[in-house]
Amino acid sequence: MRNPYEVLGIREGTDVEGIKRAYKELVKKYHPDQYRNNPLSDLAEEKLKEINEAYDYLMKKAEAQSSGYRRQEETKYSRNQEDPGRSYYDQARTYINMGNIAAAEEILNRISFRGGEWYYLRGLIFMRRGWYNEAVTNFKTAVDMEPGNYEFREALNRVMNANRQYQSTVYDRRGYSTGPDLCSICQCLICTDCCCECMGGDFINCC
Amino acid sequence: MFGYIMPEKPELKIKEYELFRGYYCGLCKSMGRSFGTLSRFALNYDSVFMGLLLASVHKEAPVLKRETCIANPVKKKWIVKDSSHIDFAADINVMLTYYKLKDDIRDEGGWISRLGLYMFQRGYRNAAARNKQLDVIIASSIDSQVQLEKKRCASMDEAAEPFANMLSQLIIAGYKGDEDSTSRILGWIGYNLGKWIYLIDAYDDMEKDIKSGSYNPLLSQYGYESQDIRIFRSGIMDEVRMTLLQILSQVTASIELLDLTNKGIINNILYEGLYGRTESVLNCTACKKRSCMRDEKSLRSIGN
Repeated sequence: MRNPYEVLGIREGTDVEGIKRAYKELVKKYHPDQYRNNPLSDLAEEKLKEINEAYDYLMKKAEAQSSGYRRQEETKYSRNQEDPGRSYYDQARTYINMGNIAAAEEILNRISFRGGEWYYLRGLIFMRRGWYNEAVTNFKTAVDMEPGNYEFREALNRVMNANRQYQSTVYDRRGYSTGPDLCSICQCLICTDCCCECMGGDFINCC
Repeated sequence: MFGYIMPEKPELKIKEYELFRGYYCGLCKSMGRSFGTLSRFALNYDSVFMGLLLASVHKEAPVLKRETCIANPVKKKWIVKDSSHIDFAADINVMLTYYKLKDDIRDEGGWISRLGLYMFQRGYRNAAARNKQLDVIIASSIDSQVQLEKKRCASMDEAAEPFANMLSQLIIAGYKGDEDSTSRILGWIGYNLGKWIYLIDAYDDMEKDIKSGSYNPLLSQYGYESQDIRIFRSGIMDEVRMTLLQILSQVTASIELLDLTNKGIINNILYEGLYGRTESVLNCTACKKRSCMRDEKSLRSIGN
């Protein structure tokens, strides 16, 4: 096992709070949700495993001094291992989950009836290949055909969320989002007003 | 390659900037040494990034020396010396330039390209003799690119495939370690960066391609029919942005899986640099001074 402090990217002897903070950051970074559409998801999983082990080890060590530690359970991402054979769709899904894109595509091409699910699965295949434009077009078709289907909508949202996540990281790194936003300023003002009124004064005299 | 992969200079630390420039100058000098001074005009930022990424993955400790150069004969600057990864990037830079010139001659002719090709012939032969396998990769990718252009391929994903695959294979070839996962990650980063370069170049060139009647994947996919280019561009902008940002989010998610040095510079390039570039190309294609404007905006924001 590598040096657990190194794995978490912290200095040796960091206190429990520091370890927890670093752990949370890393889990957020390597969370399976971030890699759902990425063919390297298995490597992210390994990394997360290593991080979990390092965290467990350090926390157990800290526990020796003080009691009362509960590891925050991260829902582990396990691959769906459905047994193939029920229908073409299930088979295709299994192949996609295994990362066997060519086989999944071959099965999809055998299906002549093309409903929402067909387009959804084809979108997943394109996503894995890095054909993002085609993938989104297929997801959109799937959603149009079955607007009520949560799974299809979710796939489309995932793409958009990844983009938003990337953008917001850029903004964070540039330090643009340091000040409070408009919403929290308003909240503050209203709270101040309420407090003042409790004490008999008034901060905003129109409400 | 085209030189789109650049750092966002105002956001770099000064030491990071000096090191990045060290790699840039190192590549330039390496090209001059191996292929003659004139080849240095073909130097571009994409190859610098490739050399830097490979050096960082191998955790190479840079050998730095202070030297002057033709472009700046008075002031000495730090230069990265004797890096095998920089030499590799130099070979690729020269080979790609040679093929690009050949491609230009086939498309448009023109004596400038012919002269350039003549100048690069010897350098290309040297580089190709050293990297036979890479030469095959590049040549076959250009072949499939020509095929796709001939049939006027109407899907940006399909059209970007040869270039993306080529970059992926080139980066994997530059990895000398034996870890399977690292070469997989590098391959996926290369694929996505190649795709990004190809698509952003296509978007940037739309106006030029309309004038010359050349093939452009975006014009084909969205069926351009002699309407106002500004209206056409704003119509497809959101969809193109969606694809470009998805590419970048995949690249950054993948780079986090790698264990490398020079993280500050590489993250600066992949986050601030490429995002800034994407937005500036999407928003004001005609504007020539966009990097200047970006710098100004960035400087102003320090006060906030």
